[in-house]
Amino acid sequence: MFKYFAAYRKEWLILIRDPAGLVLLFLMPMVMVVILSMVQEFGWSTISREPQVPVLFVNTDQDSVGNKFQQGLTEAKIFTLISQLDSVPVTREVARQKVLEGEYQIAVVIPERTSERIRAKIRLLVNKTMTSLMMPDQNFLAGVTNTDSVEVIIYFDPAVRNSFRNAFLSSTREFNSKIESRMIFETFQDELRKLFPGFNMPVIDYEPSVYFKEIFPSGVEEEILPSTTQHNVPSWAIFAMFFIVVPLTSSIIKEREEGSLIRLMTIPVTYMTIFMAKVGVYLFVCFIQFLLMVLAGIYVLPLFNMPPLEVGANYLAIAIMTIVSSLAALGYGILLGTLSKTHQQAAAFGSVSIVVLAAMGGLWVPVYLMGSFMRHLATFSPLNWAHAGFLDIFLRGSSLMDVFPEIIKLLSFFAVTITIAAIYRTLKPPIST
Amino acid sequence: MTEESIIGIRDLTKYYKGADEPAIDHISLGIFKDEIFGFLGPNGAGKTTTISILCGLFPPTKGKVTIDGLDIRLNHEKIKHIIGIVPQEVALYHTLTGLENLQFFGNMYGLKGKALKERIGEYLVRFGLEKFARKQVSTYSGGMKRRVNLIAGLLHKPRILFLDEPTVGIDVQSRNVILEFLHELQETGTTIIYTSHYMEEAEKLCNRVAIIDQGKIIAIGNPKELVALNPEFKNLETMFLHLTGKGLRD
Repeated sequence: MFKYFAAYRKEWLILIRDPAGLVLLFLMPMVMVVILSMVQEFGWSTISREPQVPVLFVNTDQDSVGNKFQQGLTEAKIFTLISQLDSVPVTREVARQKVLEGEYQIAVVIPERTSERIRAKIRLLVNKTMTSLMMPDQNFLAGVTNTDSVEVIIYFDPAVRNSFRNAFLSSTREFNSKIESRMIFETFQDELRKLFPGFNMPVIDYEPSVYFKEIFPSGVEEEILPSTTQHNVPSWAIFAMFFIVVPLTSSIIKEREEGSLIRLMTIPVTYMTIFMAKVGVYLFVCFIQFLLMVLAGIYVLPLFNMPPLEVGANYLAIAIMTIVSSLAALGYGILLGTLSKTHQQAAAFGSVSIVVLAAMGGLWVPVYLMGSFMRHLATFSPLNWAHAGFLDIFLRGSSLMDVFPEIIKLLSFFAVTITIAAIYRTLKPPIST
Repeated sequence: MTEESIIGIRDLTKYYKGADEPAIDHISLGIFKDEIFGFLGPNGAGKTTTISILCGLFPPTKGKVTIDGLDIRLNHEKIKHIIGIVPQEVALYHTLTGLENLQFFGNMYGLKGKALKERIGEYLVRFGLEKFARKQVSTYSGGMKRRVNLIAGLLHKPRILFLDEPTVGIDVQSRNVILEFLHELQETGTTIIYTSHYMEEAEKLCNRVAIIDQGKIIAIGNPKELVALNPEFKNLETMFLHLTGKGLRD
């Protein structure tokens, strides 16, 4: 144990002798969490925000349907509708050109006579229904002509992501259904008024019969509302934490290149002691990094109009999850540093493999959205285990026992990687043989 | 010096991976207790490979090494306690101070407290480093780094000390201090195994030398006696050049 503490002290001194590096080690992950959370804020948002995406809106209908569309899209508070550019109304051709040039990502064109054509189509539908089902002796179809469907044109910038395009199309289809339903209802009322002129038809305000209540089940009494912050902070914090691999591998390779490791090989001290001293120091670094990232989630993100991170009250579970996630990252770093021959190898493979493991582990695209093969692959990523554990604690209010399987997986990963590194170094000395 | 072998080398052969020629080719010799033994040879002759095997850094392809009667393959951990190594590279942590480096390596040998502090202090004074002990090694001159490198291998007072070109690239003053110290160390009963390119230095310092070339020992004995036996050579260097040739090596 005495040798361990001496090696720990040495690692600690080396670490603090590079104050600029130390500041970067703590500051960069915080900056990353804040910036990337802000970038992803819109994409993940489930909470109403100020309108953000500008949409060119060409309303050549200038009647009820066009106006209701405009009103609906504006009320969605996701889009800023732009009908004029430089005080000139936007035309279909201008809208198309602006989207083509990538200046705007979406343009909606409501064609001329849209309201009139929809009304005619609905009238036909209503009258057909009344003629065939209710009053076959009455001719409700007199004066009604058939009409084609209306084509609302939406221009999309090819760079727009599918998920965003689908969200926009869903919103517009929803507005359209509402508008059409209301018009059908009103047309029926009109026809009935004609049929029963003396009957005092009550004014019925059409409201949907079904509402959807969102509930987010949680293990704690107080419901934890999912937010961009709740999703993003754990994801980016784990990602940043695993990037400890880069300075750690650098420390191992430097020790080897400078010859100190060769001297240590002739001294009665085990590789495990040397490795564990590094783990001890870098574990502290990871812990502080995570703490700072969580504090950034709680106190810095709200400064940018984002919801604060809610960590619940299960501090022990969070602390243990942080420790085991850090250990997994450090075990991986020790293994890479031991296997890599040069700084370049370690830095390139280390950073790229973390990006791959993060993507594979569902840190950027949720695992449930992946195909079955990728979903299976995700279960092999230690970043996925850490992510699942933190989401359970932060979003579901899980206890330490609930995340026990993830803790065991991460600890096992650490034990396996560091043991392989120690065995490899014992069998293969750090000089050419 | 007693003619009792503390290191026995028998039929030692080493092939590096992928190499057709051996780095060491069937070397056999004994190194006596308390002697200063020098391995001399041109670049790539097999000096560092021999020392590395003797220190247990990697195993030989063939042959046997015993240190103090112990087979190095079977007793490496025990042997670590009785050997010290001063590698060719300055094997120190450059962002730590000289004192911190020495404390760390002393601790790794199990030394601590007052005993370690006193021993470090003694060596720092002996090598003229006491004023620089609290400065980072990165700020040291080449000679100062070499001196700290030497002290780090001596702290536990090893019975056998391996030095791989300890005086390479340093000034005359630092070299002089180191060589004087090695003589003193020998007098306290330490066996010193040493490699060098400096023939004059080896001639003065070593009780015996082995001239190695292409992995083979081509001459072995007391440097003065070797020269005396071959009167056509005026010193060890001319004999060395004759034996190993004047052609450039890798």
